[in-house]
Amino acid sequence: METNLVMEGVKFMFLGMGTVFAFLIIMIMAINLMSYIIHRFFPEPKAADIAVNTANEQQDKNKIVAAITAAIAHHRQG
Amino acid sequence: MKNIVIKFLALFMLLAFANTTAGASEHEAVAKASTHKEETYVSKPFSEMIMGFLKDTGVVALVNPDPNELSANGEHMSSFHQGLGRVIMILITFFLFWLAIAKGFEPLLLLPIAFGGFLANIPVANIAGAHGFLGVIYNMGLSNEMFPIIIFMGVGAMTDFGPLLSNPKTALLGGAAQFGIFGTLVGAVALSHYGFVDFTLQQASAISIIGGADGPTSIFIATKLAPELLGAIAVASYSYMAMVPIIQPPIMKALTTDAERKIKMTTLRHVTRLEKLVFPILVLSLAIMVLPESTPLIGAFMFGNFLKESGVVERLNDTLQNALINITTIFLGLGVGSKLAADQFLVPDTMFIMILGIIAFSVGTAAGVLMAKLMNLFPGHKINPLIGSAGVSAVPMAARVSNKVGMEYDRTNMLLMHAMGPNVAGVIGSAVAAGVLISLFQ
Repeated sequence: METNLVMEGVKFMFLGMGTVFAFLIIMIMAINLMSYIIHRFFPEPKAADIAVNTANEQQDKNKIVAAITAAIAHHRQG
Repeated sequence: MKNIVIKFLALFMLLAFANTTAGASEHEAVAKASTHKEETYVSKPFSEMIMGFLKDTGVVALVNPDPNELSANGEHMSSFHQGLGRVIMILITFFLFWLAIAKGFEPLLLLPIAFGGFLANIPVANIAGAHGFLGVIYNMGLSNEMFPIIIFMGVGAMTDFGPLLSNPKTALLGGAAQFGIFGTLVGAVALSHYGFVDFTLQQASAISIIGGADGPTSIFIATKLAPELLGAIAVASYSYMAMVPIIQPPIMKALTTDAERKIKMTTLRHVTRLEKLVFPILVLSLAIMVLPESTPLIGAFMFGNFLKESGVVERLNDTLQNALINITTIFLGLGVGSKLAADQFLVPDTMFIMILGIIAFSVGTAAGVLMAKLMNLFPGHKINPLIGSAGVSAVPMAARVSNKVGMEYDRTNMLLMHAMGPNVAGVIGSAVAAGVLISLFQ
């Protein structure tokens, strides 16, 4: 039987490009859904939390400076 | 005193006995060896020995080949493929060395492939045969599609899906570029339909996958559908990938206007770690549901990426990205090189594969750029069409080309990260296309 190879090729082309696009479009929708869910329910620690942390660190630093100053003063007195 | 003498004598006798038995066994061994030699070795005059040796040299084998010598496939070869053809192939491998070393064309793969080809064209030694070391390497990991899969794991571990996740719609550009594969498939079957060449549908599919611009995928498909064309397909695929900076820019410039090339894209949003971690599982799940045939490639790719993004197996990630992929690259290159033997490469088909390959590449590039222009007709953030060309895989070379061409027109327009989105989507796209082709021939 003589099959028309060119027609076969065109069929392959439509099927192949169709599958590739279908897959990628589903993937895009899935990515968008995933991003929405993750940002909605599992957000990363917000900038405010980080700011609070740094504020705490600043306080710690101040305490350390105070302690060192006190120690130096004590040393000079003695 | 008497006691000592007796002991001494006894010791002496023991030693003497041991000595004689040892001597006897030595004699026997010598006798055996000499009889063994007498079976195979016949004393010849010195002149005859020199003549026999000269007959075994490579020069004689190339000039006056033995008509009974079989190729690596165990078939008879024409005297052209045994003599002059081998010399031509060795010169071609020298040209590939020059391309790799002086021009920097994908040296990591081109050098092992070219040296494998050099070794495969040595007469008499039959290195590419089933028992030669190249043949052993080929059977170890290429004929069963193992090496491309391992390479895919390493590529997965090196890939950052961040740019794709922050702008998912650019994945469509990676899909459009796969038109290079299927458009060329039609071209290849048309060529054989009108009698220029004689490609079967399988062979045409294996050739057109060059348009996916993805080395491991090309090798994977070629070994599955048309192993006899593997050498030409792999060489075409890797040499065109290396020539991306030469092939793509003229096409990109021809299809875009000056204003389009200066489009600035919005900055990418931050992608959280959890998104990157879920993504490989998500894509693999989709592949399982839509097209299980594509899961060997996508599964290996996502395995590598998952190890990387998990952040808890730094050692394995490091091995995948470096040691494992390097070792596999050496073997893959040599194995592909073994298919550069003259009797398999110096055939008219090779020329058509080279021509179809570059058409596939150009069509893919053009399709990506045109898709970006099409997407700009819809409302939403505008896309710079120059990143469309990155939809052919060739990670990260194609993305760098987009960036470079963009900066030629506007020094401040950094497109690299934007182009990485379609670039990695192109890898997924070609893996899906490969899965479609495999499923069609099941």
